[in-house]
Amino acid sequence: MTALEFQTVHEKLWAELEQAVRLPERQLDPQRFLALYRTCCEHLALAEARGFASGIVERLSIVTARAHQIVYRQSDFGIARIARVLLNRFPTTVRAHRGYVALAALLFLGPALALGFAVYHKPDLILSIVDAGTATKFEKMYDPSNEVLGRLRDAGSNWMMFGFYIMNNITIAFQCFAAGILLGIGSVYFIAMNGAFGGAIAGYVASAGFGGTFFSFVATHSAFELTAIVLCGAAGLRIGRAVLLPGRLPRTTALELAAKDTSVIVFGSAVMLVIAAAIEAFWSSAAWLTPTAKYSGAAVCWILVALFFLRRPYAD
Amino acid sequence: MNPAIDTILTAETPEGIAISIRPAGFAVRATAFLIDAAIRFVFLMICATVLGAGGGFGSGARFRGGLFLICLFVLNWLYPVIFELTAAAATPGKRIMGLVVLMVNGLPITPAGCLIRNLLRFVDALPLGYAFGIVCILLRNDSRRIGDLAGGTVVAYRDDVQPAGSLAAADPIPPPTVLSTRQQIAIMAFGFRVGRLTPQRAEEIAELASGALQDTPARLSLTARLVGVARWLHGDRAVHTGAVHTGAAHTGSAAP
Repeated sequence: MTALEFQTVHEKLWAELEQAVRLPERQLDPQRFLALYRTCCEHLALAEARGFASGIVERLSIVTARAHQIVYRQSDFGIARIARVLLNRFPTTVRAHRGYVALAALLFLGPALALGFAVYHKPDLILSIVDAGTATKFEKMYDPSNEVLGRLRDAGSNWMMFGFYIMNNITIAFQCFAAGILLGIGSVYFIAMNGAFGGAIAGYVASAGFGGTFFSFVATHSAFELTAIVLCGAAGLRIGRAVLLPGRLPRTTALELAAKDTSVIVFGSAVMLVIAAAIEAFWSSAAWLTPTAKYSGAAVCWILVALFFLRRPYAD
Repeated sequence: MNPAIDTILTAETPEGIAISIRPAGFAVRATAFLIDAAIRFVFLMICATVLGAGGGFGSGARFRGGLFLICLFVLNWLYPVIFELTAAAATPGKRIMGLVVLMVNGLPITPAGCLIRNLLRFVDALPLGYAFGIVCILLRNDSRRIGDLAGGTVVAYRDDVQPAGSLAAADPIPPPTVLSTRQQIAIMAFGFRVGRLTPQRAEEIAELASGALQDTPARLSLTARLVGVARWLHGDRAVHTGAVHTGAAHTGSAAP
């Protein structure tokens, strides 16, 4: 069969597929479309094998490439899918990376506790972390005589702080993850730095005698916030390890796999940080709530977070 | 196939065909980035104007202030994620430049790939002015930055190469010798491209194939003869106006 005959016989099918790929996805008849796509793939393979004119091969390549994009497009972004990812895949993935999570937690808590105790006993040390103005600002923020806690009186309202927490904390979490690609060093740096900073501030505020307001302030939202930052750091450590020690895979493949595995952790952590920001802005900062109420809320949140990651997942 | 001759990536599909991906280089991606930066800047200005309109210190102003910070976050981190997950699979800047983000295996972009490539933008931007990303793009044939490597994505040209046009007109001439498939493809490709060449250049190229043109009518130019062979190979058997040779001369020629 010559190219011309081949074209004459199958022209109608090609034209039909060419028309179909231009239609909006909703108007397509899936069965007809798939059948056309497969037939045209067959024709393309035949045309190439028989050395038919480039005009035919190119035309078929273009239309099959278009159809390929349509056939394999992942169009299911529905609530059900997102919920499934968050409720099942997120905790499952975290459990599968428990070694990295433990390491990240250690990297966070180590500097936090060390600097916390050091600064508590020798408050001057805070000046090696932040400047004097910032230290005073933090001290004022947790003065029990404030009507709102965790911020300066003129800093803005709950909503303002909600926006600030979202921007600031999610950016920190994303950095903890992304910097991991630098052989993991970036993640170690960001986790330890944030731990050290938080610990130092806690130690300093406690040494000023405002520990009660400070710890009741951070107790609740830290269940989500610190967990999420540690999880992002753990994901960063995983991709760092893939680059540093790819094992038997090529480095780029190891990196690609590690990033694909851990992306759900970053997504889940971002959602946790939005929850944390809401709690921090509207609950933690409320001075009218007694510390007892806040600690009870904190206990509930920590237990919920722990259960979320430890419970047996539903079938996917 | 020589992999160094161009930057085209081929991805094989489950249907057994190969899809060509043409990765976009540094210059076109930088332009797309600048367009996106301008769009983000304008959007940020609009947000600042609308949300800052009330002024003052009332709770309304503070609510708007919080909203502004959220806008800042979204524009900073989520702008590319959101646009690349739409059907266009490209940010407005990429769309204007005719680019699209694909998985490196030719599939449409997945949510995980999109999230990773855009979060790792932070690393590509290190230490200053996207230095890591630029070096990575320039060093690689497929022009992928670090985020693309981790996400398994590639930024490619969206529009297809236009088909070569139609076969030039000539009277079909049966090939005087048996031609291999590769030779047939080359001759037919010549037939399709000859319209874009100057006659002199076409004649030069046709001369390279003169080994395949023995015993063809010598009073025609090499170009005309080669196009004639191309037409015959393509399946054209009809003798057009001003027939040069009789049908009898064709009989007995081996059909490919």
